[in-house]
Parts: sequence; C-alpha cells; structure tokens
Amino acid sequence: MKKVMLLFSFLIIAVNIFSQGFKVKAEGAQVFSFNDNNGRNQATFFSTTPLEDVNGLTTEINGTISFDVRNVAGSLKGQITIPAKSLKTGIKKRDEDMKGSGWLDVEEFPVISFTIKRVLELKSLADNKLQAKVSGDFMVHGITKEIVVDATMIYLDENEQTGQISPGDLLGVTSKFTITLSDYDIDNMVLGKRVSDKIEIGVNFVGNNKGN
Amino acid sequence: MNRKQRITIIISLVIITCVFIVWMFSGMEIFTKTQVLVEKKDELFGTTYKEWKDQFIWGLDLTAAVSGAVIVSASILLWIFRRKK
Repeated sequence: MKKVMLLFSFLIIAVNIFSQGFKVKAEGAQVFSFNDNNGRNQATFFSTTPLEDVNGLTTEINGTISFDVRNVAGSLKGQITIPAKSLKTGIKKRDEDMKGSGWLDVEEFPVISFTIKRVLELKSLADNKLQAKVSGDFMVHGITKEIVVDATMIYLDENEQTGQISPGDLLGVTSKFTITLSDYDIDNMVLGKRVSDKIEIGVNFVGNNKGN
Repeated sequence: MNRKQRITIIISLVIITCVFIVWMFSGMEIFTKTQVLVEKKDELFGTTYKEWKDQFIWGLDLTAAVSGAVIVSASILLWIFRRKK
C-alpha cells in the first residue's frame, strides 16, 4: 500500500512538473499569430564599441506560435520571421551599408528567422506568466545555428481591455539573447571596429489566437 | 596681418568653438542622427517597447563639416583681404 501511495504521489508530481503550462480560462491547443500591422511588435538589436553604439529596430515581425495551454513545455512550436531589409538604425546611410553585400546582404538573404525546437526549462511565474529557456534555430545571412534563448510569455484571456488591441486571447512574448556575427559569416573588417561581433537582440511581440 | 584679416580669423575661431560646444552639449555623438529610440510602457502586459522619435542630434561628422566650411571660407577671405602692394 505504501509503495502504491508513493508511486501515485510521484506520478502526481511528475505530471505537474512535465505538464507545466498556463492556468487560464482557455484550454487545449492554441495557435497565436504575430502578424501585426500597427508597429507594436518589434525586434531590436544593440551593438556597442568604443567608437559608437548602434541601436536598431524593426516592427515587421511575422509568425505563429502554437502550444497546448496546460502543457506548454511539451508542445511549444512555432516560427518568427523578419524581413532583413526592414531593420533601421536611425541613420539612412548606415542602414544602406548594413543591408549591403558587406554586411547582411538582404538581396541574397532576405529573411531572418527563429524556429522553436524544444523547451529546455519552464518556470511558472504566475497563472498566466511563464519563463522559458527555449532552444531553436536562428537563421541570418543564410546561416542557421541552434541557440538557446530566455523568453517570458504572458497569456491574457479575451476581455474588454484586450479587445481594444485585438480580438481573441492575447499572448505577449519578450526575449533577450546574444548572437555572434562572425558565426553567421557577417564580418566586415573595413568597418569592423564600428560594430561589435556580439549583438544583443531583444524581441517584444503580441499575438492573438484569432488568426488576424 | 591687417584688421580685416584679424577679424576674419577671430570670427572663424568663435564659430568653430560654438559648433564644438553645441556638439559637446548634444551628447558628443560621432554621427548625426535624425531619429532616436524612446522607451514606451505597455500598460496591458507591463512590458516596455521602443519607438522611433524624430529628433535631431548634432554629431561630430556635422561639426567637422561646418568647421571645414568655415576654414575654407576664412582662407578665401584672408586671401581677398590681403594688402595689395
């Protein structure tokens, strides 16, 4: 009897650990689209060198993320894409250089993307807020590398406030990670000192599960 | 050096000094900017996001260009104001 109780307790704990997800009104599989035309969704990048700091931003983010609400850890899938030519740094000439063949070469490699592969760690910060360590394929300049990013996801059930932004339930995702440009064959020695090899990338986007 | 030439040099130095002071008080940026990123708060999610705001920031490149133009103009004026023998 003791062994049965012990096994039962272990199973309960295991189910709770491995089925971590949101505790919200919604249930089952949800698919969130991040095709925002209002400029709210964005990806930023930051480079710092003794010569100058470069801040960049794009608001043209597209993609979908899907998961089972009660089992995000075991079911999270999705892809986010950005048109490389949409990146801006506040200086037109610098933007042209950045998109040219010496740097991102946007004509040859028009898309930057991140494809989710698996969740490595998941922590519940609140009923509708999860912190995750996600492994995925990051592609830029035509080269794909597996990276690990820290992300925070906030699930908002549809209500009067969310309805002012978008129909349906909302999912807000924020994440920060660092990439090394030379890993992706982006290494322009002519202007090399003006841009750091390590680039901090931040993303902040909101999607809905109504597909628009 | 005649009086006109002295005045030309003094005015040129004053302009160049003013331009450098403007650059120092503008944040001593290397490159002139016409837009800056500002942080905004998303009240619904409690997160922050960034937006471009039109703002002119005087950079060292513009300072150098203005200084160069003043030096060239001053040189021309110095030659024009030279005493003809």
